[in-house]
Amino acid sequence: MKLTDAFSYAFGAIRLRKLRAALTTLGVVIGIAAVVALLSLGQGFQDAITVQLQRGFAVDTLIVTPRSEMGMGTTEQSGFYLLVNDTEQIINNVPEVKTVVAVIQRAGYIKAGNISEMVTIVGVNFTEYMKIYSTFSAEMGKIPLNPSNDTVILGARVADPWENNTLICGINDSVELLWTVRENHIPVNVSYTFYVAAILEEIGGFGFGGPSDRSVYIPISTAVDLFGDKCNQIIVQLKDSKEETINTASEKIRELFGDQVSVISSTAILNTVETVFSTVKIFLAGIAGISLLVAGIGIMNIMIVSVMERTREIGILKALGAKNRTIMLIFISEAVLIGLIGSTLGIGFGILMARVFSRFGFAGFGGRPGMEATGTTAMTIVPVLTPITLIGALAFGILVSVLFGLYPAWRAAKLKPVEALRYE
Amino acid sequence: MKPVVETVNLKKTYMLGRVPVHALRGVNLKVYPGDFIAVLGPSGSGKSTLLNLIGALDKPTEGEVIIDGIDISTLNEDQLAELRRKIGFVFQFFNLIPRLSALENVELPLAIAGVVKSERRKRAMELLKIVGLEDRMKHKPTELSGGEQQRVAIARALVNNPRYLLMDEPTGNIDSKTAAEIMKLVKKLNEEEGVTIILVTHNQFVANQAKRVVHIVDGVLREENT
Repeated sequence: MKLTDAFSYAFGAIRLRKLRAALTTLGVVIGIAAVVALLSLGQGFQDAITVQLQRGFAVDTLIVTPRSEMGMGTTEQSGFYLLVNDTEQIINNVPEVKTVVAVIQRAGYIKAGNISEMVTIVGVNFTEYMKIYSTFSAEMGKIPLNPSNDTVILGARVADPWENNTLICGINDSVELLWTVRENHIPVNVSYTFYVAAILEEIGGFGFGGPSDRSVYIPISTAVDLFGDKCNQIIVQLKDSKEETINTASEKIRELFGDQVSVISSTAILNTVETVFSTVKIFLAGIAGISLLVAGIGIMNIMIVSVMERTREIGILKALGAKNRTIMLIFISEAVLIGLIGSTLGIGFGILMARVFSRFGFAGFGGRPGMEATGTTAMTIVPVLTPITLIGALAFGILVSVLFGLYPAWRAAKLKPVEALRYE
Repeated sequence: MKPVVETVNLKKTYMLGRVPVHALRGVNLKVYPGDFIAVLGPSGSGKSTLLNLIGALDKPTEGEVIIDGIDISTLNEDQLAELRRKIGFVFQFFNLIPRLSALENVELPLAIAGVVKSERRKRAMELLKIVGLEDRMKHKPTELSGGEQQRVAIARALVNNPRYLLMDEPTGNIDSKTAAEIMKLVKKLNEEEGVTIILVTHNQFVANQAKRVVHIVDGVLREENT
């Protein structure tokens, strides 16, 4: 029997029992819809996170920190410090390096009028920092290239904490920065007055290494005067973002400081994040896959019943010269059709489900608790459906249907013609 | 002349639970091209068993069924299926596929054999014309009378140009007037188209239409007019 004839014969059989076929197909529809929805949402989530990370990242940068610091704690115990002047060493000894910026960070408060906010005070060289991070650019005012000592630049969220364009201060206004120092183990508050030179554009993102919306920026010289010349990290911009350049430069910098620093590449972090998300996505799809398993069992169940009902028909086909494989082909064609129709509808429903979820399920993600999420700050997740997901879902739906149709089809093929013809 | 089908000391034993049932106890039958043989016998005489064996639907316990010079016990399932394409079957209960039209039912053996659509449609229409159903081709079996259904079944049995036609109580399920018409058609097919026919029945009238009648009693054949 020709393949097209087998399919049209199978289609006729399916059409005869519409409700039954519809219910069997529904299982596949739900399974595939779940797979597609979760995969496309997962992909959308991953893309959103990656974009957020990339905003705060520059792919051609390395971040050098004292090894024991682990990015958060203090360096007190190790006795090794990175100093602001160490930037000279890096730029002189590592030819792959283009620009180097030392960063001094400190937690503190900003006070404008009677409003006080917690911020990160960051001391950097404005000119160099701008070269590395394009996000370090002014929305209002101007970032001075030769700042005076009492210049401060505010992150977007610092200036506008309520996210409604009500600024805590204007350009050239004075603000106070406060922080705590310990004198003989007693905490003492220190405060200095600064003048606002610029307010940064909103960045969003997590600002790993790069500028962030909740920081205030002061000149590096001022930071050295106030906090000392131990810096928290040195940001290195390379001449290009090739993997080889990243690896060589990282190794050279590590050697330069006698292996007492850790060098993290932004690209490496991005890759790690992407790997983690891929795993999460596969895990989600696996859970959705379980519902497909249930659908498959449904198909098998219905097909076994169908084979019993059609025993006589199978006998007739055999008397008319049908080989075992022809019978098999007819029943597998039915499974393929159910899988094909179910998967196609399932993909449609999956896309729909993902859209609905991304609108209602995740809205407000990334917004601050208790605050109304707005389009600009909430992380909006747009479901992403790649052609591979699409083809994969279709193929998987058909595969599951066929797999579970194999046994009933085999039972049909194995029927003895005489007994099948006698079957009432 | 070589027989189209021949049985040599054919025996078939079924197990009914633990009791062996000897349905055929050594049947010798030769059917030549152009023959019209009626096998007449009461129910339980073994006539359906005989029909299944010479239709290559079943294999003998002992003895041989030789179709076109080939002993069917030597064939595997696929070869038996291909052999059945050279045999036309007509059943008591028509055995048409209910969801297919008359035309599609007649086309079915050709579709199974892999003949292309245009060709098998042409051939099926020819056959439906021969059995007098050219104006009922689009009808489903449920929309046809018993006699018409059996005509469709006969057209289906002949569509592959079979070596011989096997009929199992072809008039067993239709009224006597229609039965007479069907038998007229069968006789005509034998006389005018030269179709070789083996017919199994318990009806004396139907058997009388054949050129040769053999009786089957308790799994053994007895010739009526040799």
